[in-house]
Amino acid sequence: MIKRTVYIGNPAHLKLKNQQLLVQEPLGDVKGSVPIEDMALLVLDHYQITISTQVINSLQGNGVCIVTCDAHHLPFGITLPLYGHTEHSERVKYQLEVSDPLKKQLWKQTVIQKIKNQEALLKLNNRVHEPMEMYRTTTKSGDTTNTEGKAAQHYWKHLFPDFQRNRFGDAPNALLNFGYAILRSIVARALVSSGLLPVLGLFHKNKYNPYCLADDIMEPYRPFVDKMVVNYVNNNGETDALTKEVKAYLLGIATQDVWIDGQQRPLMIAVTTTTASLYKCYTGELRQIKYPELD
Amino acid sequence: MSQDRFNAYRIMWVLVFFDLPTETKVERKAASLFRKNLLKDGFDMFQFSIYLRNCPSRENANVHIKRVKKALPKHGKIGVLCITDKQFGNMELFHGKKPTDLPGVTQQLELF
Repeated sequence: MIKRTVYIGNPAHLKLKNQQLLVQEPLGDVKGSVPIEDMALLVLDHYQITISTQVINSLQGNGVCIVTCDAHHLPFGITLPLYGHTEHSERVKYQLEVSDPLKKQLWKQTVIQKIKNQEALLKLNNRVHEPMEMYRTTTKSGDTTNTEGKAAQHYWKHLFPDFQRNRFGDAPNALLNFGYAILRSIVARALVSSGLLPVLGLFHKNKYNPYCLADDIMEPYRPFVDKMVVNYVNNNGETDALTKEVKAYLLGIATQDVWIDGQQRPLMIAVTTTTASLYKCYTGELRQIKYPELD
Repeated sequence: MSQDRFNAYRIMWVLVFFDLPTETKVERKAASLFRKNLLKDGFDMFQFSIYLRNCPSRENANVHIKRVKKALPKHGKIGVLCITDKQFGNMELFHGKKPTDLPGVTQQLELF
């Protein structure tokens, strides 16, 4: 079942009534209520939102990911429950015992699928995509030759004209950042629901990063965000303003259909397929992580 | 990538109609408990003794129908109906003689 995303961008009190999330204006007018069990993501994007502990508890009990946003309206923090999965500690044990060669193999698969998806997106937009195939086929275990970076360089140069991918760069970087941050919280939520620690990455191991594994697993999903941004820019021209409409559009990433494992699924469901297959790779039941294909 | 899978034939509405006796204190208590359980399960009041809930899929609707069945009071008449969003959208609603809007379709993405 595809779950709901709730975005709050105005001053509001959030409280629990009849075990439902009640959204109230500061003056007391009820703006609506949402069944908590139907939710997956709650995005809080205003400084004047108050939230009761009871609501937080109930959200966490239902595996809802709470995303808070900073002054630039970009997602800043992710709150996830510890009890994402009943076998949590057993699964973490498997995750901790994963050997380095296996990690490198899994990272190689991740990079290959990412480049494949980037290549498909370039092809879709009639851009130069030939070099991507070379990068993809020469990716080594653990990506020791950094084909990921080389491919990315080509990819960004051709995807948008006169564009530099930079966290604080010009348009449409802000749109990409917003999309990636939402994607990251979706992936982190799926990892926790598969009983895995988002901290322990395959490749990312920055000591300041608490979501290394989420950053690894989301790599092949990034081109789906890129695709949405490309479509948006093509239709609306280059923009850097994160308006309500832009955000509503980008939050729709959760329900975009993708092809995974021979089936068409909403992205949010596909991510859980990926994390479940990752766990099976850890236990040795599978040799390949299941990743989506961009068509 | 398309979004048409989240469509009007997949989304279901569960409607619960009930007439519960409220003669004695015990019966009143049972009736209000049943109503309260519906609210806790995410149902909204449509009219007095008619409650409805939007469910994103048939499977999800079945879960909620099951819960209603579990919460049934000892006495009284209760009807449970499950229809597609498409059928629900064909309903005509009036306030007096004036036609009114249907309850808003639940969005997958809700902006407040």
